[in-house]
Amino acid sequence: MFLRLVRRNSKRSRRENGLFFASLLVSIIAFYIILSLSHQDVMLFLQKMESNAVSRLMQMIPLFYGVTLFLLFFLIYYAGKFQMERRRHEFGVYLMMGMRRSRVLAMLLAEDFHGSILALVIGLPVAVLLSELVSLITARLVGLGIVGHRFTFSPGAVLWTVAGFLLIKFFAFFLLSVRIAGQEIGALLTQGAERECRRYPAFVYTCALIPGIFCLGMAYTMGIQGISWERPESMGITVTTGLLGMFLFFFGLRGVMGFLARHGKIGRLQVFHFRQLQEIVIRRSGMLAVSCILILAALCCFGAGVGIAGFYAGEEEHVLDYTFWGYEQGADEMLEILAEEGLESCFSELFEVKTGHIRSEEENGEAYRMDAVMEALEELPESEEKEILLNNLSYAVYPGLISLSGYNRILKIAGSEPLALQEDEAAVYMDHESVVGGREELIDRVLEEEPQVWMDGNPVRLKGKVQTASLITDRAVRYSFALILPDASFDYYTRGVYSSYLNGVLSREIVEDKGLMQAVSEINERMEGVERIWQSESYLGNMGRKLFFMVAASYITMYLSLIFFVIANTAIGVQFLMAQQKSARRYRTLAYLGAGYEQLCHSAAKQIHWYFGIPVMVAVISSFFGIRALFTGLLPSRTQEGAGEMMWVSAAMILLLLVIEWIYITAVKRISARYLLTLMTPKREE
Amino acid sequence: MKPISEKPILEIEALTKYYGKGANRTMALDGITLQVMPGEFLGIMGSSGSGKSTLLNCIATVIHPDGGRITVEGIDLQKLRGGELAGYRGTKIGYLFQNFELLDNLTGRENILLPLSIHNIPEAEGEKRMGELAAWLEIQDVLHKFPSQMSGGQKQRVAAARALVLKPGMVLADEPTGALDSKNARLLMEKLAGLNRQERAAVLMVTHDPNAASYCRRILFIRDGKIFHELRRDVPEETRKEFYGRILKVTAQLGGGSANVLTVG
Repeated sequence: MFLRLVRRNSKRSRRENGLFFASLLVSIIAFYIILSLSHQDVMLFLQKMESNAVSRLMQMIPLFYGVTLFLLFFLIYYAGKFQMERRRHEFGVYLMMGMRRSRVLAMLLAEDFHGSILALVIGLPVAVLLSELVSLITARLVGLGIVGHRFTFSPGAVLWTVAGFLLIKFFAFFLLSVRIAGQEIGALLTQGAERECRRYPAFVYTCALIPGIFCLGMAYTMGIQGISWERPESMGITVTTGLLGMFLFFFGLRGVMGFLARHGKIGRLQVFHFRQLQEIVIRRSGMLAVSCILILAALCCFGAGVGIAGFYAGEEEHVLDYTFWGYEQGADEMLEILAEEGLESCFSELFEVKTGHIRSEEENGEAYRMDAVMEALEELPESEEKEILLNNLSYAVYPGLISLSGYNRILKIAGSEPLALQEDEAAVYMDHESVVGGREELIDRVLEEEPQVWMDGNPVRLKGKVQTASLITDRAVRYSFALILPDASFDYYTRGVYSSYLNGVLSREIVEDKGLMQAVSEINERMEGVERIWQSESYLGNMGRKLFFMVAASYITMYLSLIFFVIANTAIGVQFLMAQQKSARRYRTLAYLGAGYEQLCHSAAKQIHWYFGIPVMVAVISSFFGIRALFTGLLPSRTQEGAGEMMWVSAAMILLLLVIEWIYITAVKRISARYLLTLMTPKREE
Repeated sequence: MKPISEKPILEIEALTKYYGKGANRTMALDGITLQVMPGEFLGIMGSSGSGKSTLLNCIATVIHPDGGRITVEGIDLQKLRGGELAGYRGTKIGYLFQNFELLDNLTGRENILLPLSIHNIPEAEGEKRMGELAAWLEIQDVLHKFPSQMSGGQKQRVAAARALVLKPGMVLADEPTGALDSKNARLLMEKLAGLNRQERAAVLMVTHDPNAASYCRRILFIRDGKIFHELRRDVPEETRKEFYGRILKVTAQLGGGSANVLTVG
């Protein structure tokens, strides 16, 4: 009998409160994903390439696990509290019937355990599958390909997931059951109305709202202007004013709600919505502020994380696989060494790219002048990008030089048309970062006129469009402004002083056979044995570093953002539903006064929109400042100019999160509507 | 009394309502038939579980009867659907609860104007009406207070103003004095009877309290879901006190309430 009751109650709880069960599943999935991070394809690959950085990240996993444990505890506690509140009356009845408190607790514990086991049985396979999916998608997104993907199952992660989940579940259960067990039967049997919350005069709320907005504004300004990042104290001030501003703002909102209730005259039941909202805001302004901060953290993490990751990932096209260079050796010697080691056959292309600088005969003579370019640029319409270009190009007095033959090979592999230059002609080269934000178009417009420049006193005509292809696999060779010259001219202007790089492209058969990741790993292993007389850098090795940023930025931030987001939304949703249950009598009265079911649902939906909408809107507005501040603080200054583009990526991500928010709101509306339906039939009170 | 030719505001024919199924079935209303004339003050008395509140809830359309017919102002309630039903509930009838059921997060004024908000009537239209009702019910001082700041009597008078704000043809009152002390109960009944006379709104009041019932013109006694007895007050010949005596006598026969301890000769 006891077990049947447990099973039935557990089933009913799941049906009545899907939100709670969903939050249990989210907890399990979150635990497993963070714990199985080391088994992800990207991580396995990174471990080979960047083992130090990865092991540092892995050392941080227990910390993330701990933080997740702590945060999810609140999620489960809140959702559980809602569940318990719903069943107060039922517990009272059990006790009235003579069931001992210990027996009621044992029953609750058994129900809880039943629910937990079911959540684990459903949640763990979903978590494993989701983790695999994430692994495959990230591998695909970062260009590793899915060749060589192995299904991974981490028993350790499962064990820790189960342990962590049960730990917080039972701890939350313990706290909640202590609350219930301590109450008198009479208190359990009557639906307890919430105690009256103190109301203050309107000017008190105004006094909170205005400084609140001021504090938020101050925190935003400090963040965006980068003041926060200058010293730890400045960061402390920003965070403190931000938090203070948020709490004051939500406290002050009580007054706004009261004002809207008194003066708003739009739509049906307007006064009722706003009085309900005012009450809930009065009781829970602190909780709303915390939820808002959590949503803000989620939006910032997600937006900035994806933005930064996208910046690193989408930077360049993958053309070259390897670059070798030496301190002393020329390209020919490097080729010989590769041939000796039997590595030459692994490459379909091996070619030299030479770079150097213009050298003047006279020490202080003018090596390079491009007045025509600067003048043409001056004539273009005013824009910020034009100013930046004018400033940057004014320093190009000793521009870098690149040999045409090497550069054309790169273009050929990339499938582009090679450049054709005469002896007195040159093409302009600028790296990716120097031409962001529409600068490429500006330069191209100037180059359309084929302006003439002066190199060491000789006239040279600039031909074609600006070139931006990466010269080697690494970031080591970057030019904000350089000239591509025919090889003879290159030798003449560099006076024979240049650097030589040997670029390689892996043969297609090897890549297709083993996958790029595997092929590079094998070659790297063989290279280990070779006496290191040169430095080599593979595309993947270089990418490994970028990948690490991407993983650190996207994986962790997205993970945390999801946790923050789910917790904040569950907290808001549960608080609303609990408040709605406490207002059951009011809804019944409205029904007696002639409000139909649809009207009540409409009213509840309006309250839900406002109740979710206020913290979400504040968070969304704040997140644009927050993300901008993160870009200012976290990105190296040379990439700052791309921040505008990244803001768009972040905005898109925020929009995506808002879609999830909408799904959440819809779910809460459904639960609310189902509850209201139960109120439509009158209770016999005789 | 009203002229005989006047049409009843409420007609109930053979109303039945069951609770439960099979062997557990309880007959809450067992073929009740009655009529209420406009402006009538009708009391319904009976012991707990006799079906009084079920009858009131059927008229208020919050529960569906299993059989019979209820007609209000010539409209068959069973034919009303959705919006019509909600419209009926707010405008044709007003409801007065035992526990006032004021929304405790709304001020007195907002509570009174709530039916306007529900039925999408501009507030301005109700302001004058609210002023009149508040003056009559002596609640002007509490209009800007929240229910927690009012006494029980004030709360019930605010609730009465709310029930009457849309000028319903009929007010359904479910034990309106049940939660009030005798002084406040008397005050409320006097105000209600006064409004009933002035506004010619019919009042249908379920009560256990013979004192409150003595304000009625007619009282129906219900037992086991059937009308068991009917009392009419002979106005103006019969005083309220005399009527009260007659009520006590019937309640004693009914075998319920406080009348059990009183023996009326």
